[in-house]
Order: sequence, then C-alpha cells, then structure tokens
Amino acid sequence: MKTKQNKDWKGVWVFGDYRNYFQNRVTLQLIAKGRQLARDRHTDLTVLVLGSQIHQYAMEYTAHGADAVMVVDHPNLKNYQVETYVRVVSQLVEAFKPEIFLAGATAFGREFFPRLAKRLTTGLSADCVALEIETSEGMLVQTTPAFGGELLADIVTPEHRPQMATVHPGVFEERSHDHGRTARMLYPEVEIPTEERVQLVRSKPDQSPKGSLEEADVVLVGGRGLGSRENFQMLFELARLFGGDVGATRPVILSGWADEGRLLGQTGKSVKPNLLITAGTSGAVQFTTGIQGAETIIAINRDPHAPIFKMADLGLVGDAKTVLSLLLEKLRKRL
Amino acid sequence: MNIIVCIKQVPDAPSIRIDRERMTIIRNDVESIINPLDRVALEAALDLKQKEGGKLSVLTMGPSHSEEALRETLAAGADEAILLSDPQFAGADTLATSKVLASAISRVEPFPDLILCGRQTIDSDTGHVGPQLAEELDLPQVCGVTEIHVESNALVVKQLSDGFQNTYRVSFPALLTVSQGLNVPRHIPLGELEQAFSRGRVNRWGLKDLDLRPEEVGLSGSATTVLRLYKPPQKRKGEIVSGSSQVLAEHLIAKLVSLSVLDEDEAE
Repeated sequence: MKTKQNKDWKGVWVFGDYRNYFQNRVTLQLIAKGRQLARDRHTDLTVLVLGSQIHQYAMEYTAHGADAVMVVDHPNLKNYQVETYVRVVSQLVEAFKPEIFLAGATAFGREFFPRLAKRLTTGLSADCVALEIETSEGMLVQTTPAFGGELLADIVTPEHRPQMATVHPGVFEERSHDHGRTARMLYPEVEIPTEERVQLVRSKPDQSPKGSLEEADVVLVGGRGLGSRENFQMLFELARLFGGDVGATRPVILSGWADEGRLLGQTGKSVKPNLLITAGTSGAVQFTTGIQGAETIIAINRDPHAPIFKMADLGLVGDAKTVLSLLLEKLRKRL
Repeated sequence: MNIIVCIKQVPDAPSIRIDRERMTIIRNDVESIINPLDRVALEAALDLKQKEGGKLSVLTMGPSHSEEALRETLAAGADEAILLSDPQFAGADTLATSKVLASAISRVEPFPDLILCGRQTIDSDTGHVGPQLAEELDLPQVCGVTEIHVESNALVVKQLSDGFQNTYRVSFPALLTVSQGLNVPRHIPLGELEQAFSRGRVNRWGLKDLDLRPEEVGLSGSATTVLRLYKPPQKRKGEIVSGSSQVLAEHLIAKLVSLSVLDEDEAE
C-alpha cells in the first residue's frame, strides 16, 4: 500500500514454495539471498509457509538459514490455490508489515504474487535476475529482463510497501543446510477461507514427454542452414549419443523438418541446458530469446558475421552439415 | 456466452532502441504485432463464440496506432473493439494498467461471462495483468490454461503448473489467461483484413469515459518506477574459429571433451 511511513515496514519475507521440494530449489535460493538483504537492512528473514501438515518444510527452511518461519497449517490450505492464499497472506502482510516480500517465479508464484500485490496495492517486478538494496532508505533495486532478455530494467517501488518481486529460479545460490540451526517459529492467528469459485478437480504429476526438451542437459538446435530434412536428422542421432534433445528454429518448422513442439524462441520454448549447440542458425532475436539461458553455447554457421556468434562461447565458421557429419563419424567409430 | 479478450500490441522482432530520457522503448520504426499469446486467447474466444454464441469484444490499452491490432481482431471475427487511449494512461505499470482495463470492462454491456488474456506478453513479459485484472474485478482466475471446456454453469479448464497437470472447475464470470498449447491461431485472410480496415468500427475511450481519477492511472497510478533500462553486459567471451571442416570438427570435439560431454577416449 502507499505509505508515507516506509520505516514502519520492517523485515524480509520469502514465500515458501515447497511443491516438488527436491527439484524446486528457488525457495532455498531466496532464503540465502533474502538473508543477505535482511542483514543489509539490519533485520530478519522470515519464511512464510502455508499448507497442511507442513512442519517438515519449516524444519528444512530453518536448516537453510531462515531466522524465523511463519507457519499457517490448515486443511483448507493443502492445495496451492490463488484466491485462498491471497486472502490469508494479505492479512498477514497487513498485520506484520514486511518491507520486502519475495517469491520464486514458479508458475504458481507468477499466478499468486500479482494478485496479492494488487490486493495490497503495491508494486511487483517479475522474474528478477538480480536484487540489491541501493539506498539507506532500503530501496530494493529489482532487475528484470524485458524483451526476452534483450534488455534489463532496474525497477524500484519508491512509495509503496512491501516491495515485492518474483525471482527467476537458479540466479541465486542456496546455502548449505545445517540441521543444528534453530529459528523462531511463528503461528499467527488468521482467518482461513474456503475456496469457492475455483475448485481443484484433479492434480497429477505431468507425464507428457514434451518437458524433456526444457529439461535436457544438452540441446542441439538446427536451422535452415543445415540444408535438408535428412541433414537435420543427424541432430537426433547426436542427441541420442549425448543423452540430449533437439530444438529447431521457425524456418525449420515451416519447412516441415521438425514438429512445432521443438520450436525454440519467442513463440516457442525456452531452454537452459548446460550445453547448447546450434547448427546452421543465424541467430535472429526471435530465436535467441529461447536459448540465452544456456550455460555454454557452441555455434556452427557459414557466415562469420551471423549474430549467433555474438552469443556463442565457441563459434565455428563453416558448414554445419559437414562438421556434424565428421563428428558423428568419429563417435560412431567408438561405439 | 459474452467474452472480452484483452490484447496488447507489441513490437515484432525487437531491433530495440531506448529512449534514455523517458526509460521507454522507441517503438516508431518497429513493426507491431498482436502479442502472440493474445492471439491464442482470441482464437479460443472465436471458438467459444462459434459453439456457444454471444458477443465477443476485444479491448486494448495503448497509443493510437494500437487501433490496427484491433482491426485485425475485427477481421478475425470479433463483434466489437475498444481502444483505451489517453495521454494520461501512458507510463502505466501493471497495477495502473489493470485498473484502467477493469474500469472499461465494467462499462461494457452486458458484463462478460468470460475474460481471456494471453498469459504474458513478449515485450515486458510480466504476466501480471491477467491476475491483477481478475483481482480488480473480483473474479476467479486460472492462469496458463491449455484446455477450456464449457459446462452448464461452470468452466472446466486444464493448466500445466510446476510439473503438475491441474484440472479446475471455475464458476462464471471468470478470467483465464491462456498458454501456447491451447490452440493454433487462425491465419486472417488479407481480403477480410482490408475490409475490416475500411468498415470496422473501433470505439475509443479516454480517461473522461471511465470512472477513474487521473491519479489512479498512468505514471501517477503506478507503484513501480523504472530506474534504468540497458543492454545486459555481454557475458560470453566468444572464441571464433575458422578453417577446414576437419579443423572445426577437432575444435568441436576438444570443446566437448573439456565440457565432459565426451570422454577423451571416445574422442580419440
């Protein structure tokens, strides 16, 4: 809410998103970052956990460095539901007045936090990649990507509190955990509504295989520079050998060499593999927005001025088809 | 079923220039398109209109030339288009944007049974406007839906969320934001596009048409401020190699070995 008295707002909060606990590490990353921000502000980091029978998560968050854990444990909170959670959390924010409130930019975080910020009439930045305290008044500078990462924007929330941000998973490092740590446990009194307008009918783990491209450690991407559908097929063989998956640019999809589900970029998927190899792609922005999260990029293209080389860790100027067939030949000999 | 689709006109293939004074993007020389996911929302609405009947309205807030995007939706089959344009709306963050959209939607007769938005835009990419609009209008929301089924007094929708496939039953009226997987938007024939440009009518509403005060909209209605807008620092220190294909393949293999993607003996 808009406030003339920002100093009445104190403390850093992190929303504890514990679904898929072992894969979803963003809450733990935020505890580490939130602690540092809390120290900068001479205050504490509190993790807020909502759910049903969630004590184990309170323990985990303590071990990972929370100064306090606020637990709201109620059967109605078993499922992550936006309206119920907004109702409960907005009451708590109004009562405890945290200065900063962070959540992971998970699908739920990005559905829940905007509605919460609106209820609280405060600012929110999306999918931040950096957070720093800039002034003695505790202004949180929230760095967010725009235009698919083409630009960065530093955003502040000068007169409204709390300062809220969702944070991109993987940008901060979690602390090693210590089960000997202790934290204050808070059990606030809060009114728990029942969700009426949106009923969860079913929730099951997503089995569809299309997640594999997004989760692959190695991704090979072909562009039209590969010349033909047959040459494009080499990528599948290489992907099998590397235990990876295959992506494609828009022109390849339009040529019918690969199906739509493999499209990377602005209107397709984004991947963040450890290694990404592009073959015969020039590097149009619509495409590169989908691959810039890759740890290492190797690009093969005939045109030395192709923009793809600007974002490659290793650029090979040559014919992608020939280079890849030489690679395949070497690998086949070893099998 | 009466439906409102909210769309945004966004720059295509951002060859971006920055206005450093105003911390905004210079959009003049860039071709504009309807945000791709908003086209998915429009397609879903056209499909529902065909099955269920009712009025389909399309709404956007933006500068004058956003009218082009609205005409495109008229060509695709929308019944009504509303452009919210006013110098006072400029510089809005998502809080102020959702305020203006909500106020306009409250004016549309009859109040819609369903509001559809794209899950996020390709320019600012926040995904905030859908849920914030739902909050402002006090409607239930589901974000990123991949299937929509209509029952007698409710919608049944599917959503992929953090590794779960969720199915929800949502009461009317409701707001949904849509994901890529929902449909493949239709191609709008050029002939119909030309017709829509000549005869389609776009309603224009400004601040005076809405039940809002100037301090609730635009820059002054926003809670966030952009301090700086900049190109990210170049993080890759690219090594560029040219030579015969043989030489390139050797470089590639050496790199794969150094990244432990290949074992050394595999590569020899």
